[in-house]
Amino acid sequence: MFAIHVENLTKAYNSQRVLDGVNLDVPEGEFYALMGPNGSGKTTLASIIAAVKTQDSGIVEVYGKKPTQAKGLIGYVPQENFSSPKLSGRENLVYFATLLGYSRSQANQLATQMLEKVELCEEADKRVAKYSGGMRKRLEVATALFPGIKVLILDEPTTGLDPGARRSFFGMMQEVTDRRATIILITHIGSDAELASRVGLIDNGRIISEGTPDELKRKHVVEDVITVETAVKSDSVLSVLKDHSIDGKVAESEAGYKIYSRNGDKVLADVVRSLDQAGHKVMRIEMAPPTLEDVFFRLTEKQLREVTG
Amino acid sequence: MRQISAAYNRTIKELLRERAALFWTIAWPIIWVIIGSFSFTGGAPQEVIPYIKGSITISMMVFALMIAGMSNLPVSIAGDRADGLLAKLISMPIKPYKDFIGRISAVISLSLLAAALVIVIGVALGARFPGTGAHILQAIGFIFLVICASAGVGLIAGTLIKNLHGAIMTGVGIAVVTSAISGLFAPYEFLPVPLQSFARIYPVSSAQASIVYLLAGPDMVAYNPLTFGQVTLTIVLSIMLLLAGTVLYSRLGWKLE
Repeated sequence: MFAIHVENLTKAYNSQRVLDGVNLDVPEGEFYALMGPNGSGKTTLASIIAAVKTQDSGIVEVYGKKPTQAKGLIGYVPQENFSSPKLSGRENLVYFATLLGYSRSQANQLATQMLEKVELCEEADKRVAKYSGGMRKRLEVATALFPGIKVLILDEPTTGLDPGARRSFFGMMQEVTDRRATIILITHIGSDAELASRVGLIDNGRIISEGTPDELKRKHVVEDVITVETAVKSDSVLSVLKDHSIDGKVAESEAGYKIYSRNGDKVLADVVRSLDQAGHKVMRIEMAPPTLEDVFFRLTEKQLREVTG
Repeated sequence: MRQISAAYNRTIKELLRERAALFWTIAWPIIWVIIGSFSFTGGAPQEVIPYIKGSITISMMVFALMIAGMSNLPVSIAGDRADGLLAKLISMPIKPYKDFIGRISAVISLSLLAAALVIVIGVALGARFPGTGAHILQAIGFIFLVICASAGVGLIAGTLIKNLHGAIMTGVGIAVVTSAISGLFAPYEFLPVPLQSFARIYPVSSAQASIVYLLAGPDMVAYNPLTFGQVTLTIVLSIMLLLAGTVLYSRLGWKLE
């Protein structure tokens, strides 16, 4: 029996198909990342597995039961912050523990244990309004770590966190989760998904590819990946880069651009020369190992994150 | 019971730590008791002033009960929906009606606290209530009807208005506007005839008139709100509002689709 079994799942909102025949099997103890851009259906899929929403058709099972019958096994952490800012960290945890049926003294004890696990003991009695984003998310993850929880569903848990806070968050996750716990991570951040043992790429309501991070990169990105950072971003720069990339495909990133080539060493020199001739200053250029975001781009020609600037 | 007490404890703590809720539910009615006790008694015979103050105190007590249900309740519901709390609660093995009972009990507790404080301040400023023990018991019954009607409106607003600020504005708006046009802020006899009819039908204002009639005396009310027809109408409309709000909340309040 799989911890999570999804078969031919469909869901539509106002005749717009959000999930289009999704199939997914996650064995017990696996850390599975579901990666896709905004609007791909990943949050809707997580909501259905967590029994927050219902599907239009298809099968969803958590340890062989319907999600509504397996709520006691699921620890769901939605994307939005749900802890009450007017209560302290401890009061929030006592609230959720009492909701699950623990007595007042048991809930207090459990809250203390959870606060130790997520390293929030010193801030336990401060109001959540005074917590940083990372602290608040750790508190909310703690509500999903109560005894008996076997499946942890985290929806974009690192949104709004800086890279340091993200690393700290996943470090904490490694320490606090039971090895037998199944973790489903919903994310659009490739570096977060890299930590998973298996990744599913979702786009337009369908899982388009699945595998370990290395398998996905080997299978879908056979070219060299060159990152280029210019002094300015412009259509002119884009035009030069398209001439040097396979199929004219150029991905934008926060640092600059990425192009793909089967002969990276030669193309690297050609790109520098072409940009120089076009009057563009190259700040940095290097060959980089492919990322899951490159995999997604090669499969769909879409970027996972909107790039500003 | 634990789920109910969890919802109760959380809601009451949030309300007591929310300055806007405390202002509108407690401070605002007390301010008007103080203003009214000094401004609206000028020119009245000395022997009548305590009962006028009693009438003003009762009006503001009703306003406190009303604002708690019509504003604090939708804010609590809409706030949880706007944050991820509703999604989190739906994913947990808890029963919606227990959350509902805990939440509404907390709002009622706050409103009764506000009502008690308004009465204490009113009495301290010279309000007098000549009603008997039987009158007090009947008045408590009408207080209960005010709570039912207000909670019903609050549940309807909180369920239908998804936006948090919209819920706040709607709740306060309904409370303030209906108070103004139904005789809570101004004497019934000063209202135009159509609004006098509204004041008799609107369960909050008719219950308020009943409480004033019982506790401050018949001379403080321009009509008899304790006729069989009037009392029946007040009871039926109060219960209907509460039922409508409860049904709507139980059907739609815990849906995120």
